[in-house]
Amino acid sequence: MITIRRQLTSPLQLMTLVTAALILLPLGYVISQALSANPAVWSRLWSTRLPELLTNTIRLAASVACLTLVLGVSTAWLVTRVEFPARRLWEGALVLPLAMPTYVLAYIYSYVLGIGGPIEQLWQTVAGPEAHVFSPHSFLGATLVMTLDTFPFVYLLSRSALLNMNVSFEEVSRASGISHVKTLWLVTLPLMRPSIAAGLSLVILYVVSDFGAVSLLRYQTLTYAVFQQMTGRSDHTAASILSLLLVGMALLFLITERWFRHRSRFYQTTGRYRTPERHRYGWIGTSLVTIYLVVVVAASFGVPTYLLIDWSLSPEALATIDTRFYGFFWNTAFLAACAATGGVVIGLPLAYMASRRPNWLNLTCLQAAYAGYVLPGPVAALAVLFLCLNLVPFLYGSVIVLIVAYVIHFLPVALQSLEPALQQITPNLEEVARTLGLGVRQTWQRVTLPLMRSGFVVAWVLMFLQTMKELPATLLLRPVGFDTLAIRVWMEASEEYYQLAAPSALLIVLLGLPTLLLLLSKDWRAA
Amino acid sequence: MTLRHAITGESTLQADLYQPISSVLELRGVSCAYGTGRPAIENIAFAAKEGEILCLLGPSGCGKTTILRAIAGFEPVRSGQIFLSGQLVSSLGHMTPTEDRRVGMVFQEYALFPHLRVQDNIAFALRHLSRRERKVRVEDMLRLVGLQGFERRYPHELSGGQQQRVALARALVHHPVVLLLDEPFSNLDPDMASRMRQELHDLLRRTKTTTILVTHDHAESFAMADRIAVLNQGRLEQFDTPETIYHTPQTPFVADFVGQADFIPGTVSRGMVQTELGEFPNTLECEEGTAVVVMIRPDDVHLASHKNSDARVLRREFRGSENLYAVALPSGQVVHASEGSTVVLPPGTPVRVNVAATHTVLFLMRDARPVNRALE
Repeated sequence: MITIRRQLTSPLQLMTLVTAALILLPLGYVISQALSANPAVWSRLWSTRLPELLTNTIRLAASVACLTLVLGVSTAWLVTRVEFPARRLWEGALVLPLAMPTYVLAYIYSYVLGIGGPIEQLWQTVAGPEAHVFSPHSFLGATLVMTLDTFPFVYLLSRSALLNMNVSFEEVSRASGISHVKTLWLVTLPLMRPSIAAGLSLVILYVVSDFGAVSLLRYQTLTYAVFQQMTGRSDHTAASILSLLLVGMALLFLITERWFRHRSRFYQTTGRYRTPERHRYGWIGTSLVTIYLVVVVAASFGVPTYLLIDWSLSPEALATIDTRFYGFFWNTAFLAACAATGGVVIGLPLAYMASRRPNWLNLTCLQAAYAGYVLPGPVAALAVLFLCLNLVPFLYGSVIVLIVAYVIHFLPVALQSLEPALQQITPNLEEVARTLGLGVRQTWQRVTLPLMRSGFVVAWVLMFLQTMKELPATLLLRPVGFDTLAIRVWMEASEEYYQLAAPSALLIVLLGLPTLLLLLSKDWRAA
Repeated sequence: MTLRHAITGESTLQADLYQPISSVLELRGVSCAYGTGRPAIENIAFAAKEGEILCLLGPSGCGKTTILRAIAGFEPVRSGQIFLSGQLVSSLGHMTPTEDRRVGMVFQEYALFPHLRVQDNIAFALRHLSRRERKVRVEDMLRLVGLQGFERRYPHELSGGQQQRVALARALVHHPVVLLLDEPFSNLDPDMASRMRQELHDLLRRTKTTTILVTHDHAESFAMADRIAVLNQGRLEQFDTPETIYHTPQTPFVADFVGQADFIPGTVSRGMVQTELGEFPNTLECEEGTAVVVMIRPDDVHLASHKNSDARVLRREFRGSENLYAVALPSGQVVHASEGSTVVLPPGTPVRVNVAATHTVLFLMRDARPVNRALE
């Protein structure tokens, strides 16, 4: 009893509780708003927009899931089980699309596939002057863009499953007289199932909460509708009802992802790692493999990057690189730095308490902090907006509201680096410092903080880079005239000023590359 | 001469006046709570004298590490008291912080700070000293543990045995009141472990360090300890010298845990215990007809090949310096015997079984039953 009371009054514990409450408050507000809404609003939504929005969202998620499954698994299998020239290079290149925000890819494809675009011109020389390709502003366009942007999730998880898989399983199958191809179907793929499922859940979570691509391609999904309800009609009740549905969907896939990721551990070997035997094909096979990978990487990263560079070097684009452009850049950097610092400062006590005193209270607080995952950008904005208007209306339209939204939205990113960094430090190290005469605070200064410095830096950088390319919450909450790079890309692209959007977009993509390095360095080898 | 006499005289006088607690460490009826994620301990009491090496011995989950952590001040006690150098450091509601206890601790995984060099690891507790003094103390410690020239290495550049020595040097550098060692040899390969055991024993004797060592290996505790506390399910079963623990264990659990033991059933009649292996003195002085078991160690049993005997060799396990035989008695009871390894009795050989024990250890049948069942 005494120890419990003492724990509750410790400042760290108080901080943890307050932080968790601050994060849950906006979410709770949205939910209560939705649940207490007039039933008439529900039925109106149900009879007008909802069926279309739900079908659209589910249709998009399902088709993207199918395509990423094929793309992700096949590429992962090729780079781990086949030997061909520059294999390691392709292995890395296949992750590059993750550096490309969906709105950048969407705006490039609305040019490439658009009327008078290069694909249409090409097609017209083949099929006659009246021929058209499918419009990017359609279900197909959105599917294509989202697939190219998200297949690396499936690729990464499948790849690590293939690398961690005990090669003996496949060898036993071969020894029992089963052919290569049949072994793939009977042994390899079934063993990869949990990892693939986790990857697909991640893809769906991403598609469901995406705003950038669907808004530029004008494809109506739930997330896009929340945004429209808030801007076009200022109907916050309807927006919160839609948000509730969205949060429910996101939660479902987040739980699915975690469940499968947990299960995938049982399928992976604990024994010694052995490099699998890689097939070698003849020159025809090798060139087919290479052509396939060239097409995938070119479509998802190569061509878009080339276009961005080309446009950025055009005279119109160069003319925009002036003091205003630097202003946008500094705005972006300022916001991202504030959010990253806030996130790390807030995340540290949460992660520390959960790893050092893992009682139900602290673990619940930590889980609460992961709520940002199920809050798509517009919903996070909506939640913070509600709270701000009700509690501190004078802050409305200030940078602070925006930063709070960022912190809530991206705190999971910071926690994901802080948590393992702390868990790697065995509590024995802190205890030994105590036996050597150091107090609690000194132990923190001289042992805990120095040891987790790298986790600290990674958390900050990741959160900085994620915040930097955030779009919907920024659109909704930014102070008037306070534009960021992402906003510029979106606004110019909405007006189809492709060249003008390019410098900002290129900068975002380039700054996104270190994120990839950081994310991958952790579990790239994974074996 | 006179001065020294005066001093000693004064100190004996003081001793009479204040009745100092002669032990460096004392636990009085210590219990630790359930629900902390560690095995609970119940009513533990023992004391360690200056310079003594004590061993906490028991199977995993018996709470021996919990006791160590309670002494270090990481676990609160639910009842009872812990005294260090005569000062109360732990009781219900009172807990002197670890940093004020002056204990040294070596963890199972050594817990060397990975971000610090060997010299900085060792000097960790010496911040209050000047740079020069620190250097001198670090060099002293490195010489003590035989690691001169390693001061600029990082922990990951050391072998397991070297890491352990650094951990030891770090724990000893601030002259702790008591040194706590948690399974210190479990991460070393057997060869290295026995070498380190010897070295550590010499070092602790030389520095006269009061030490509490936790282990699950009875051979290790026999080799290291002045006295051993055997623990089982959070309770203290016996606290004695290694020899006493081995030869006259007080409970069947202790008998079984500190070495191979057979429990031969018997009954008291005519003032003696009658068993299949002959008569034994009734050391428990129980009534006529009481069912008891006699504990027998393999080194007390001697075999002789004998054609007309009903006892037969079941198995032979070659152990290098000896052969361990399992012998089936006519009743089906199995007895173990260790014999020199030069004579080999193949399985099936009829043998006569002689017991020549210096002490007889008896237990009541109902106390011994759990052990017997566990053995089957």
